[in-house]
Amino acid sequence: MRSFKLGTAGMRGMVGSGLTVERAVDFASAFGTLLDGGRVILGCDTRFSTNMLRHAASAALLGCGCEVLNAGIVPAGIIHFLTPHLKADGALLIGAGHQKAGCNAAIPLAAQGNYFNRIELQELLDIYHSHQYLGVPWNKIRKIKPIPEGAVYDYLDALCAVIDTRAIEKANFTVVADFCNGSGGAVGELVAERLGIKMIGINKIFSGILPHEPEPRPRTATQVQSLMSPLNADVGFVFNSDVSRMSIVTDTAETLSEEYTAPLAADYLLAKYPGSNVVSNICSTRSLDDIVTKHGGELFKTKVGQANVIDKMFETGALIACEGSGSLAGSNWVRGFDAFYVMALILEYMATTGKSLSALCSDIPRYHIVKSTVRCQSSQAYNLLRNIRGMARDGVINEEDGIRIDWEDGWVSVRASATEAVIRLISESKNIEKAADRDFKLRGMIEHQRGEL
Amino acid sequence: MKFRKNLKFSTSGVRGIVGESLTPLLTCSLAAAYGRYVGGGRVLVGRDTRPSGEMIENAVVAGLLSVGCQPLLLGVVPTPTVQVMIVESGANGGIVVTASHNPAEWNALKLIGAEGTFLTENEYAELSDIYNQEDFHFCGEELLRKVKYIANGFKIHQDKIFNSIDIEDIRKRRFKVAVDCCNGVGAVYSRGFLEALGCEVFTVFDRADGNFERIPEPLPENLDALCELVIREKCDIGFAQDPDGDRLSVVDNNGVALPTHYSLMMAADHILSENPGTIVVNIQTTKNLEDIASSYGCGVEYAKVGEINVVRKMIEIGSEFGGEGNCGGVIWRRIHPGRDSFTTMALMLEMLSLCSESIAEIAATLDHYVNKSVKFYCSPFNSREIIRSLQERYSGEEQLTFDGLRINFEHGWVLVRQSNTEPVLRLTVENSSSELADQQLQRFTSEITELKNQLESEINV
Repeated sequence: MRSFKLGTAGMRGMVGSGLTVERAVDFASAFGTLLDGGRVILGCDTRFSTNMLRHAASAALLGCGCEVLNAGIVPAGIIHFLTPHLKADGALLIGAGHQKAGCNAAIPLAAQGNYFNRIELQELLDIYHSHQYLGVPWNKIRKIKPIPEGAVYDYLDALCAVIDTRAIEKANFTVVADFCNGSGGAVGELVAERLGIKMIGINKIFSGILPHEPEPRPRTATQVQSLMSPLNADVGFVFNSDVSRMSIVTDTAETLSEEYTAPLAADYLLAKYPGSNVVSNICSTRSLDDIVTKHGGELFKTKVGQANVIDKMFETGALIACEGSGSLAGSNWVRGFDAFYVMALILEYMATTGKSLSALCSDIPRYHIVKSTVRCQSSQAYNLLRNIRGMARDGVINEEDGIRIDWEDGWVSVRASATEAVIRLISESKNIEKAADRDFKLRGMIEHQRGEL
Repeated sequence: MKFRKNLKFSTSGVRGIVGESLTPLLTCSLAAAYGRYVGGGRVLVGRDTRPSGEMIENAVVAGLLSVGCQPLLLGVVPTPTVQVMIVESGANGGIVVTASHNPAEWNALKLIGAEGTFLTENEYAELSDIYNQEDFHFCGEELLRKVKYIANGFKIHQDKIFNSIDIEDIRKRRFKVAVDCCNGVGAVYSRGFLEALGCEVFTVFDRADGNFERIPEPLPENLDALCELVIREKCDIGFAQDPDGDRLSVVDNNGVALPTHYSLMMAADHILSENPGTIVVNIQTTKNLEDIASSYGCGVEYAKVGEINVVRKMIEIGSEFGGEGNCGGVIWRRIHPGRDSFTTMALMLEMLSLCSESIAEIAATLDHYVNKSVKFYCSPFNSREIIRSLQERYSGEEQLTFDGLRINFEHGWVLVRQSNTEPVLRLTVENSSSELADQQLQRFTSEITELKNQLESEINV
């Protein structure tokens, strides 16, 4: 199926059919034109098509007179950090993160290392759609350079400055980490060394082949799960291919839903900084609501998307911003999702409390979440969504992003994905059967209507 | 937004001005079409030293990857090195990012087929067809391949040349050689190449940064700095390359820049003395070549102007040696079927090493003709009409008609030919007698002017 998306999460799609090399050149030319030359950092993941997109973007950016700093294969968090650190005017993240094999993406970052907001995106897309790009003469073309040696160490220094590494080191943790053959493998060992943990990394070959679905989920955590007991590990982490999302496996080998990554970290940070507020998107677990309420803070909800939650965090002065997909950003850290930061927070939580992860989890209110997707072209999605409203006879409707219906005993969210040609369904309830039942009904309704369209 | 101009698709490549017509998108799409055309597989990529080279190279690599090719990157190398390496590595083709002798604001893609020769007119037409298809198909993620880097491309090229000449004889002579690298690929390789031949090397314009400090075409009038260097260092010979290292001009030991056709004449004289055979030159090339060839009992075949036309003819008739006199292009198929300044330098030095004469003395014996040229601004249609009329008028004479009209006379020839790059009709006259040459130039000038006026007035009526 053809799939192509343009949004705050950049240009994304199936390589070859949706995301073509020509579109990538166009998109990067538009980005270079928007920046009017300037310094741009390129960061990559390990997928087959990433090299092609990097060459295409390099050519386009050079053509606009940009100075291109090639960071090579690095996690997204490092690019979020390096963009302001190296005084770049922007950055381009090449890599599909959580998306399945065959997809790729080019995500533009603004000078602070953050995702574009709506207005910046609009400007970029206007240039893209006009196909009128800056072209500097031959003697104004600059070179591609690698990022300065030691730039990654600057990142590690900065990370260690916001984390209690002494406590972590003392705790002598054994950690299993699954990098999904993504960019995390490039720096995972360095991070482990600086945090003073013993890390057993798996799936850290830069082959371009994804060993399993890159989305951190309980079902993708089975490799880590199987290693927990034999290695006597304290905790396991499952990263997506650009280390922006993470799910956790406990010391008792329970594969936690990625939804609990944020509540766990929030439980720790809100206890540490009482009275702080949190930003989340409209379709994250109620567990987070409960945690924030427990600590007397406020939970602001926005549309789904990294830019939305993080911008809201800075706007409201909230402590953290997170999404149920297993990602979290802190106001004292980079302006993007960095799962190494979240990993460090969880380790710090364990170290400072001296409790096992399974013990810490027992403080988290647990729900049953069912997530599913229905394949659907964007053109149909919006029509379908409108028809779902009928289901909400007794519930409370929220239309901030797609449709969320809340009942006393749970909620569902139905929305068109910003990154793929699918409708995403989430159903959560204390009662597992209820959650599954609602998901089943909803999916049936949507598939039935899709058939009629 | 600036007006986009000066994009040229031709058999010598796709040329344009950087920042205007030759955009990353265009070069990327074209490389993708080329990758499709050669059927995927391995494609070599090289470039000259132009500052825009890195940008275009990246676009080309992206385009090749998008259709499932494996790009093999040679980096900054001479155009002939890419040609040699295609054959050596069994690749499906090659792309060189260079605008050859064009000024620095230009760049281009030179497209080379699996045999190491440039694409022919027909092949270009097929490529253009693919490029212009609406529903062009790119490969999905699972079919994409990785880029490979080749560091020793030039070394392989150099070894191939050294295996075909007598390097020991050259080394013994310890020649003093000056080279004008034109800030091109020669700046990277020429010194090492000549030092390996035991020469003491002096260089000028030897920064490999593509900021050309002289007009890049190696014409005698552009080589003052090299001439001075030859005189100052008392060199045995001076060589002038173009930015991508396919053409070569020679400066003699007195610091006199020899006209471009001397490279071919001297190389032919030297090659035929050891390996006699029919040679192929383009239709603009001096009749001196016929005299040189006949002195070894060999013949000369003529081809249309353009390197690929000469090469095709050579392959067709099994000729080992040929070239284009007017641009300093020497082709020796033993190395590879294409122009090559490095092969030419080696041949010149081998020639010098085998005789006691200086290059000036050798040159003095070679040229027996006067060559004169004049151009008329004339539409392509009128140019054709003029050529047709002259063809009828001189039907009694010996004619060559495959590229314009060349009329052979006993002591020379007249060529009336339409330019490939400008709306210009060019008249070239060559004769052993200066008087006759002048007479013929005058006669044909007035005939062409008359025909041209007639044609233009017909349209006005």
